[in-house]
Amino acid sequence: MSAVCILTPVVVAAWPAFSAMVAAAATSLGYSVVAEGVDRINQNLQEKEVSKHRQIQLEIANSELVTGQLGRDQRICVTRGGVTVTFSRDARGRAKICVTGSRQTDEALRAFGEELSQRVVQQYVYQRVMDELRAHQFTVVEEEVEGDQSIRLKVRRWEN
Amino acid sequence: MAQREFDITIGPGGEVKLHIHGIKGKSCLEVVKLFEKVVGQVKSQQQTSEFYEPEEEVRFRIDQRQ
Repeated sequence: MSAVCILTPVVVAAWPAFSAMVAAAATSLGYSVVAEGVDRINQNLQEKEVSKHRQIQLEIANSELVTGQLGRDQRICVTRGGVTVTFSRDARGRAKICVTGSRQTDEALRAFGEELSQRVVQQYVYQRVMDELRAHQFTVVEEEVEGDQSIRLKVRRWEN
Repeated sequence: MAQREFDITIGPGGEVKLHIHGIKGKSCLEVVKLFEKVVGQVKSQQQTSEFYEPEEEVRFRIDQRQ
């Protein structure tokens, strides 16, 4: 072994790619997509409807979502068992997460939001790493998902 | 031919742990830089003794017979 290195992820993605990652990660955790690209009017109506619900705001650290000027209000909304998680892009370009539910405690809502946002970041990193490995002709010889949901890859390349 | 091998662990929150095997010296740092570009910021890095070994060289010996 030559080196051991730990890297903290930075998410830089265009909105369409990010929303596709959210949809994939949410589906893998049993959520279903209820709305995507909702405009400002519908958003206000939804906020009035959920005003009686508990609400937790989170954000994905080290994230930058790139979008066109027309896409400022882009958002994707997923739901599971009475919990609704909305991913959107804030004014600074960061990924913002709003978790709402009526029967859950704030701690439970925070845990749901963190579980889903972590899965989104993990899937983003996995896709980036796999694309780069393919580009550099590495072969994935082992791939396993561990008990704590870590993804372990063993990659190899022969060089002259 | 030399074998280049990595173990990559992508944690539940996207944190990446990279074990690099069989790459010595500067070549090892190039791999770390590549992952830094792809994943994000290096949080910690630890070199093992193999890192400080000289990089592999290929030597040719040419004998001229008359």
